[in-house]
Amino acid sequence: MDYKFDFNPVINGFPDLLMGCAGTLGLAFAGLLLSSVIGAVGVALRGSHIAPVRWTVIAFVELIRNTPFLVQIYFVFFALPLVGIRLDPTPTAIIALGVNGGAYAIEILRGGVQAIDKGQIEAGHALGLSKLQVFRLIVFKPALRAVFPSLASQFILLTLTTSIASAISAYELTSVAQRIESDSFRSFEVYGTVTFLYLAISTALLMGMSAIAQRMFSYPVK
Amino acid sequence: MDAFTLSQFLFLLKGLQWTVALSLIGLSLGAVAGLLIALARTSGFKTFKRITGGYIMLFQGTPLLMQLFVTYYGLALIGLKLDPWASVAIGFTLHASAFLGEIWRGSIEAIPRGQTEAANALGVNYLTRMRKIILPQALRISLPATIGFLVQLIKGTSLAAIVGFNELARSGSIVSNQNFKPLLVYAVVAILYFSMCWPLSLYGSRLERRLATGAR
Amino acid sequence: MTFKTTSSKRRQLMLAVAGLIAASTLVTSPARAITSAEIKAKGKLVVGIQAANPPWGFVDSTTGQADGIDADMAKAFGKELGVPVEFAGLEVANRIPALTSGRVDVLFATMAMLPERAKAVQYSKPYIGNSIFLVAAKSVVIKTNADMGKLVIGVPRSSTQDSDVTKNAPPGTVIRRFDNDAATIQAMLSGQVQAVGGNVFYARRLNEAAPNTYENKLEFTQLFNGACTRLEDKELNGVLNAFIDKIKANGELAKIQQKWTGTSMTNFPASIEGVPFVAK
Repeated sequence: MDYKFDFNPVINGFPDLLMGCAGTLGLAFAGLLLSSVIGAVGVALRGSHIAPVRWTVIAFVELIRNTPFLVQIYFVFFALPLVGIRLDPTPTAIIALGVNGGAYAIEILRGGVQAIDKGQIEAGHALGLSKLQVFRLIVFKPALRAVFPSLASQFILLTLTTSIASAISAYELTSVAQRIESDSFRSFEVYGTVTFLYLAISTALLMGMSAIAQRMFSYPVK
Repeated sequence: MDAFTLSQFLFLLKGLQWTVALSLIGLSLGAVAGLLIALARTSGFKTFKRITGGYIMLFQGTPLLMQLFVTYYGLALIGLKLDPWASVAIGFTLHASAFLGEIWRGSIEAIPRGQTEAANALGVNYLTRMRKIILPQALRISLPATIGFLVQLIKGTSLAAIVGFNELARSGSIVSNQNFKPLLVYAVVAILYFSMCWPLSLYGSRLERRLATGAR
Repeated sequence: MTFKTTSSKRRQLMLAVAGLIAASTLVTSPARAITSAEIKAKGKLVVGIQAANPPWGFVDSTTGQADGIDADMAKAFGKELGVPVEFAGLEVANRIPALTSGRVDVLFATMAMLPERAKAVQYSKPYIGNSIFLVAAKSVVIKTNADMGKLVIGVPRSSTQDSDVTKNAPPGTVIRRFDNDAATIQAMLSGQVQAVGGNVFYARRLNEAAPNTYENKLEFTQLFNGACTRLEDKELNGVLNAFIDKIKANGELAKIQQKWTGTSMTNFPASIEGVPFVAK
């Protein structure tokens, strides 16, 4: 097959692609922030004594985890305006990513919190620590340490999921790639290069998070 | 404004059919390839491990959407003239093979080494050892994770919409463009995905609890 | 619970066999130029069409079949060749790659005849006209190109509308690009964009949803659509042109146009700058 490869459009468009990477990371970190908040609040509510509250959180988590992200983001972008909530592509993407990531975060954190030995919590209370101190030092930090790998891989997944936001024309790497491709018709060269850019991003994030884990969690644990 | 007609709902169901077909093909072919990858990675040969390691890193570190784009546009270049259905199916198969390969590698390595050593002491060859001792246990342990991945795969088929393939998500787009009721249509689409994925997720959790109880 | 090794062996075998069968159905013959004789021998004509752009190409939700102006053209061409037509629904951006990669034999996909595209594909003689408009609500004031600057405009990615709006809108205008016409129209109806670059039917589509709300504001270009074949498929291009001449002469083209647009167009240019109709 005599297809002549032509990487010129990719080379010329590389600054734009890098800007697209910035867009991707921006969405990812904003989504991370929102999912952390939703995750923390959700896991607290999940442990509530009031059954309807618990059930609402469970329903939320199950709904989000068992439907595709594309449908979720379509819903926020195309359907919500009909009930008066109209958001631009970037806020839409951040909210969709945050909600999606938040549902997974709730489950991951729940696993970590459940693994904390009740005895330790009781010991903390017995030693006169305040409720907040107990939560921070005995529940939260050890739980975070235990589930950090899961959270890290979930964050990388979130970053890769930003590519779907291109369907609602949000600004990130995939939509930049699509623009370059539509001007040049060089689908394979453009998408092949962008695939490696994503690989670079996810590898960098992975290394970054291992470094964070090293820094935060290298205290001795019995 | 049009009403959401029965024929439009049937069109959604047709899309659902394709979603199921795509998921099954991706799972079955991906399982075969994934098993080979897992075996390669646990064989002890460093080169196998390195090559498959790169392959897995590629598919786990890049978006599924990109993988589909590259397969869809790229396969044709190397002479493989495939229709959209086939190239998308191949994309999902490769994706599944990487993830399943990793999952099964983990579960194979979770089998106590003692079993392998005992098998070797008894003169059992690699093939028999794998088929009769290691794999049955490994696959059983991996069932929750495998089911979890199947749910991810089913959701992932929605991305075939972006290359123009008429699975459930895209059918939803088309119908909502005909009756101008995106709220209703996407809600129905979500419910259809949910009805496929949730039972699997529940089953996976149940298995996980049962396995954990068994291990205690 | 014991894991029966025999059933797992059977399962693995079934998987492998299913895999082989499935794999063998996927691969077809390698790429090369195609002629009408080969299409007849193959027994089917694979046509690339837009899957969600009524009334040109769309998949009818009632029958699941492809329908529209382009579909009728393709079916007529198939009848001419004596083979059934297999439709491949394409997104706007996938049309040319689908043809050049050999995935489809010919495009009847609302392909506007533009010089840049003529470098990548071989157009036939034009068979219908199309205009690109900026469409917006009647309440929005747009008199000149400069007025576009204050609006958020939606277009399908890689379409003629995309290039027209990008070219004519003042720099800095927010342009949102979507995967296809359906998403673009949905964006307009949900208020995500205030104007769209559309073809001649957008206003009608939009007004179906919200009667009497939308109208054409600016007209960008009057274009013609042609069918496309690969640059090297010279013989097929010749057969295609002969077919188009034939249906122009016997009134069949006018009938198809009338059915979908309510008017028929007989005046076609003898040539379009930068777009050859006949393969060299």
